[in-house]
Amino acid sequence: MSELNRRRFLERMTSLSATAMVAPAGLAATAPRASARSDAPTIVPRRSASRARGRVGRPLVLPDIERRQVADLTELTLVEAAAALRDREISAVELLEAYLDRIDRWDEAHYRAFNLVASAEAREAARVADAALAARSGAGDPLTGIPLAIKDNYFTAGVRTTANSYLYEDFVPDFDATSWARLRDAGAILLGKTQMGPLATTAASTPDGERTTRNAWAPFSEEVSPGGSSSGSATAVAGRMAASSTGTQTGGSITNPSNAQGLTGIKPTMGRVSLHGILPLTYTRDHPGPLARDAIDAAAMLAVMAGPDPADPRSMGLPPVPDYVAAVRPVDRAGRPALRRPLRVGVLPDFLREPEPPATEPEQDPTPDADRVGSAPPPPDRSESRYRRELTIGAARRAALRTLEELGAEVLELGFPRDWETLTSFHFNNVRLPERSEIFLEHLRDDVRKFGVSLSPWINGLLLPGAEYVRGQRGRLVLLRSILDDVFGRCDVVTQTAPFPFDMVGLPLIGFPIGFETESAGVPRPIGGMFGAEPYAEDRLLELVAAYQRVTEWHRRRPADPDELREASGSSSEPGSGRYDLFDVMERGE
Amino acid sequence: MPQARGEARRRTVELSDDELDAYIEARLKLLGVDLSVLPEEDEDAPADQRRIMASARRFLRSTPGAIADYALDPLGPPPTIYPSEVRAWNDE
Repeated sequence: MSELNRRRFLERMTSLSATAMVAPAGLAATAPRASARSDAPTIVPRRSASRARGRVGRPLVLPDIERRQVADLTELTLVEAAAALRDREISAVELLEAYLDRIDRWDEAHYRAFNLVASAEAREAARVADAALAARSGAGDPLTGIPLAIKDNYFTAGVRTTANSYLYEDFVPDFDATSWARLRDAGAILLGKTQMGPLATTAASTPDGERTTRNAWAPFSEEVSPGGSSSGSATAVAGRMAASSTGTQTGGSITNPSNAQGLTGIKPTMGRVSLHGILPLTYTRDHPGPLARDAIDAAAMLAVMAGPDPADPRSMGLPPVPDYVAAVRPVDRAGRPALRRPLRVGVLPDFLREPEPPATEPEQDPTPDADRVGSAPPPPDRSESRYRRELTIGAARRAALRTLEELGAEVLELGFPRDWETLTSFHFNNVRLPERSEIFLEHLRDDVRKFGVSLSPWINGLLLPGAEYVRGQRGRLVLLRSILDDVFGRCDVVTQTAPFPFDMVGLPLIGFPIGFETESAGVPRPIGGMFGAEPYAEDRLLELVAAYQRVTEWHRRRPADPDELREASGSSSEPGSGRYDLFDVMERGE
Repeated sequence: MPQARGEARRRTVELSDDELDAYIEARLKLLGVDLSVLPEEDEDAPADQRRIMASARRFLRSTPGAIADYALDPLGPPPTIYPSEVRAWNDE
C-alpha cells in the first residue's frame, strides 16, 4: 500500500465532518418508562419523499433459478418468490398473508422478532403490487410484492422508528433511509420493524434489559443467543416471517445473527451501502446490509441497497458496484459445480485451532461481575458441552474447506498479520466507545436513565482521553495495512472467527451456515462460517458462498415450528422471561 | 528517534478506587453528566451507581494504558477513521 494522498484524504475528511449526522429534530426528552412490544403501528401520512436517491447503475435483473415446489409460500426464498410473482403463479397478497399468518401464530407468543407489524399498510401495498404485476405482464421492479422485515434503526417514512430505545420511543421519521428507499423503490413491501438491542448496542431487548427475541432454532432456550443487535431481523427470516431483512453491523450484528440462525448475511465494506437515515451507533463502524436465506437472496438485496448516495459522503467516490447477481450465477466445469473464478482461500490459525479441553473443576472468577465489566473479554467457557460444541464446529470448518477445494479453491494456511493480537484486542475495539458517547452526548447530559441497561459503555466512552482515541485511529490504518500486505497479498478471501477485526477497518464479511450441532441445546442448531475479503470485494464473498451452497444443503434447513421444538426440547420456558443485565450488555455489545 | 511500531513501554501506576472515582466524577461533572439520578445500589435496576462506577474504574485501569502502550512512529500512519475508504479514494 503506498503512502496516503494527504490532500485528497483531508478533503474527504473535511467533507465528512461538515455533513455529520445529527439526531432528528423534535425529539422531546422523555422520562424513562418500561417499553414493550407494540402491536399498534404508529403510521402517519408520509410528509416528504425519501431524499438522496442519486443512485447510478445497471437495472437489477434477478437470476433465473430452478424453482422448488413448496407447500408453504413462506418456504420460498426471496428470488424464488420474486420469480413466482413475476410469472403470476402466486399473488403478492397471498404471499403477504402467508407471512402474516405465521407472524400471528408464532411471533408474539414465541419468537418476538417484530416490535411493529405494519399489516394494514402492507396489505394495501400488496394489492398495489398485484395490480402492477398484472399491468406489466412480468416486467417491472425486481422486488415487487416481496415482504421485508426492516431493522428498527432504519428510518421508515410515517412508520415509528424506535431503535428499541427510550430516546426514540415516539419518533416517526418523515423520510426513508436511503437503503430502505431503494428496496421500496424496487417494489419491496414493509412488513414490519424488527426487535433490536437498544440503539443497536446488544442482543434484542427492551431498554431496561428485558430480552425480547429468541433464536428461531431454539426459542425455548435462554442459553442460545439469537445473535447480536439485529437478532429480530434474523429471527424474522429464520422463522419464515419475512422473505429477507436488513440489519446493521458495528460489532458483528449481521454476521453473528446470521451464523446463529442459519442465514446468509453480508456486511459490506464501509461506504458501499449508504448510512443516510439509519440511526448511528458510531459514524465509523456502522455497516448496513442484508440477512437473507442464501447467497442468491443476499446478492439480490445487496444489489438494490448498494451504491453512491450524495446524502452520505462515505458512499461517494468508491469503486463501481460489481454485478452481485452475476457473482452468484452458477458455473459448471467438466459437468460439475465450480467457482466462477480462481479463488485462494486463506486460513488463519484460529480457524482450525483445537479447543481447550474442558475444565475438570469449575474455575473461580477472581472478581465480582460488576468489577469485571468493561475491563476484559469474558473468561472462556470451559464446560464439557462447550468443548463438544467446539469440536463439532472444528469438524464443520474442515469439511467446509474440503468442499471449497472440491469446487476448485486453493486453500492456504496463513499466519496472523503483524500486530494482529494487539490491534484487534478488546482494548483497541473499545476505541469505538467515544464515538457512541459523542453521538448521544446531549441525552447523556439530560438524563442517563434513558440509556437503561446499556448505560455503562456510554459512560466509559466519555472517559477515554483524546490521545488514546487518536492512537486507536492510527492503529486502524496499521491494522488495515497489515491485513492487506500479510493476508490479501496471498489470498482473495480469508477465514474469520470473530467479526470485530474486519468491523474495525471496514472490510466486508459474509456469514453463512456450514453445519449443525445438537450438543448445546438438545435441538439442531446452526454452525456458521465467516469469511472476509478486500475492500469492496463483496462479489468474491458471494461467489464463494453461492458455489458452496450449490453443493450443500445447510442453507435450506428451516427450524421446526415452536410447538414441535417445545416438545423436542422438553422445555416449559416461555420467551420474554429473561433479562439482560449490565454484564450481558458488555459481553454482547456491538 | 522514531519509536518502533508496537514497542511496549509499559509504565504501571496503580491508582486507588478513590483516586479513580475522583477522576471519573470530575470528568463527568465537566461534561454535565449526572450519575446521581441512578439508585446508589440496586441489582434489580437496569443500572445503578455502584455498577457503573465499578465498570468505569476497570475500564480506566485497562483500556487507555493498553492503547498508549502501542507505540507508533510520529511520522507513521495518520489517524484514519475510514481506512478501507481511504484506500479506495486513493485508487490503491
